[in-house]
Amino acid sequence: QEVHDSVVKVAEWQQTYYASDSGIQSAATTVRDDDSTTGCSGSKKYTGSITTTPATTSYSLTRAQRVRAAMFPETLVEGEAAIPVQADSTQQSNVQRLAEPSQLLKTAIVHLINYQDDAELATRAVPELTKLLADDDPVVVNKAAMIVNQLTRKEASRRVLVQSPTMVGAVVRAMTTAVDMETARCTASILHSLSHQSEGLQAIFKSGGIPALVRMLSSPVETVLFYAITTLHNLLLHQEGAKMAVRLADGLQRMVPLLKKSNPKFLAITTDCLQLLSYANQESKLIILANGGPEGLVFIMRNYNYEKLLWTTSRVLKVLSVCPSNKPAIVEAGGMQALGQHLTGSSQRLIQNCLWTLRNLSDAATKQEGLDGLLQILVTQLGSDDVNMLTCATGILSNLTCNNSRNKTRVTQFGGVEALIHAVLRAGEKEDVAEPAVCALRHLTSRHHDAELAQNAVRLHYGVPAVVKLLGQPHYWPVIKATVGLIRNLALCPVNQAPLRDAGTIPRLVNLLLKAHQDTQRHASSSQQTYQDGVRMEEIVEGCTGALHILARDPINRGEIASMQTIPLFVQLLYSYVENVKRVAAGVLCELALDKQSAELIDAEGASAPLMELLHSNNEGIATYAAAVLFRISEDKSSDYRKRVSVELTHSLFKHDPAAWEMVRICVMKTLFQKYLLYMFLKLWN
Amino acid sequence: MNREEAPGKSPEDMYIQQKVRVLLMLKKMGSNLTPSEEAFLRNYAGVVHSQMSQLPQHSIDQGAEDVVMAFSRSETEDRRQ
Repeated sequence: QEVHDSVVKVAEWQQTYYASDSGIQSAATTVRDDDSTTGCSGSKKYTGSITTTPATTSYSLTRAQRVRAAMFPETLVEGEAAIPVQADSTQQSNVQRLAEPSQLLKTAIVHLINYQDDAELATRAVPELTKLLADDDPVVVNKAAMIVNQLTRKEASRRVLVQSPTMVGAVVRAMTTAVDMETARCTASILHSLSHQSEGLQAIFKSGGIPALVRMLSSPVETVLFYAITTLHNLLLHQEGAKMAVRLADGLQRMVPLLKKSNPKFLAITTDCLQLLSYANQESKLIILANGGPEGLVFIMRNYNYEKLLWTTSRVLKVLSVCPSNKPAIVEAGGMQALGQHLTGSSQRLIQNCLWTLRNLSDAATKQEGLDGLLQILVTQLGSDDVNMLTCATGILSNLTCNNSRNKTRVTQFGGVEALIHAVLRAGEKEDVAEPAVCALRHLTSRHHDAELAQNAVRLHYGVPAVVKLLGQPHYWPVIKATVGLIRNLALCPVNQAPLRDAGTIPRLVNLLLKAHQDTQRHASSSQQTYQDGVRMEEIVEGCTGALHILARDPINRGEIASMQTIPLFVQLLYSYVENVKRVAAGVLCELALDKQSAELIDAEGASAPLMELLHSNNEGIATYAAAVLFRISEDKSSDYRKRVSVELTHSLFKHDPAAWEMVRICVMKTLFQKYLLYMFLKLWN
Repeated sequence: MNREEAPGKSPEDMYIQQKVRVLLMLKKMGSNLTPSEEAFLRNYAGVVHSQMSQLPQHSIDQGAEDVVMAFSRSETEDRRQ
């Protein structure tokens, strides 16, 4: 039967490779036909002579061996017989003619034959090896595992293995139940080898390989760890469903502690696994947090300089940096400082990742100390032409200078004002750069030791026209809001008042105020607040009025503001439901009321009534401005009016002032006592 | 202001005291005063002196507070499989 099968197989093979008898079995030789063309195509006549060989030898050889013997007998393994293809030494057979082409072709064919050998061997061995891997004797299992491991070294046999789910399953089970380290290592190595092909990945996945590999992450053997993490990495990269399976098998809980290992390449693979698992998966991010992930990752950034490891780690940090729970943990672990260490190296991809991560983290890091080095680097990066770098540097600086007087002072000292002005000029219409740059300038120009220095620096570095230009069309409201705030701070410096005026700030602010106010009035009937580009128009009203308030400290500006018919609008704003709007409106009226003509206009607009109400405000600033305006518009009024103001003030401005109330109480008691005495005197007299 | 000074405060005195306080607070907030207001404070230097210690120590009006920008709204990287 075997002989018959072999004959059938050769016949089939002949059909595929040769159109005619090659003499492989018949031993027939080919002869040159005088009329034929050169080459071995077309039909040929054959003279045959049967070669006698031992029947058992010729029929027990594999197909590959027979081809090898016919074509390349020199490559036969010792002990295998060569079948002569011709009796006549003067005649070349077709096979020999085929053996004559280039060495490359010959080598390729030899490889194919070897491939066939390996495949056939593996096919025969797989069933038996599968049984042996499940043997009760660990020595047997170990030997079987070693053989299978050897088979995985060659592509042909490896392909046979991956096509056998039972074999892969047996390897997985053997790995899981291994009692000795060598078996564990061998079986892990097998799975690692198989994981380089998609069929292998699928076979591992379907055989329950993932939970087994995750368990191997607790192995004390470094080699097993390496094989396990690398195989899992390949699965996560290329096998659908692997991520969910790793998560379900508590893979994250096992991987995070591995961040304490010291092999940089191992760590690079581990961190890449963490990134694959946690990207866009909030639960995974929280598991990483719960297992000390931020601390481990920051430690790596601080203590290693292997670029690939730093890059993969920064990618995990970037993924975690958008998680509201991870963010403060990364900052507390020193993440800002650690990431800042890598902004000046040669790896652009690392620098960019660190910058994006820092930007994400920055709103949680406003109170961090020890950021001087980072701040200085960021100021330097403001000189870059790379829009991504500019976006990140301006954003990080904007947040780190937010409500942090020390950072504000340091950035000012590092030349941040000039650098930010240049960034604004280069930003053009790129709002992702312009908005944070202007916000950062706004922060630098108020509430810190060197605020006045910064206010002057903007002017000295020709920043005033550039800033005012941002108020122009097209209006991007977040930039407008930031700019009016900056202008307000710039106006705090008296020397800036004239340059601001000359740049046309006042008409721009008044027009924006009118536009925003009209918008709020249009939607006043509905309870909805109006947003444009995410900014409420009430914020624009407040910002513009606030800027005009400070600009009005300059007498010429004051006149210009009043000349634009703004007083009725400011009086109307005293009725706003937004406390800050009331404050700035009262503030600007207070300044305008310094001019007698404006004071009369304010009075004529009926400002007294809302101002009297504002005397009762809990906000000291509002009450003070309101009182000041009333004092200024009451200078020419009757004493009764002034007394009424005084009474209102007593019940408002001084209501939290114990000393003043005590004085009032005494005055009232004194008045009552005087009245009582008068009453008693009159009674006695009568 | 102590109790001994309290008796004898007329409404006019009250008005003066209140105006002094308002003007001092305006100055503290950085606002300008008219020449007559400056003269008023000079005339009532005694009241000014007594009121100075009554003024609140914290800053009253420094404009809008700094606000952070929330950049971490979405992950910016698309992992290529």
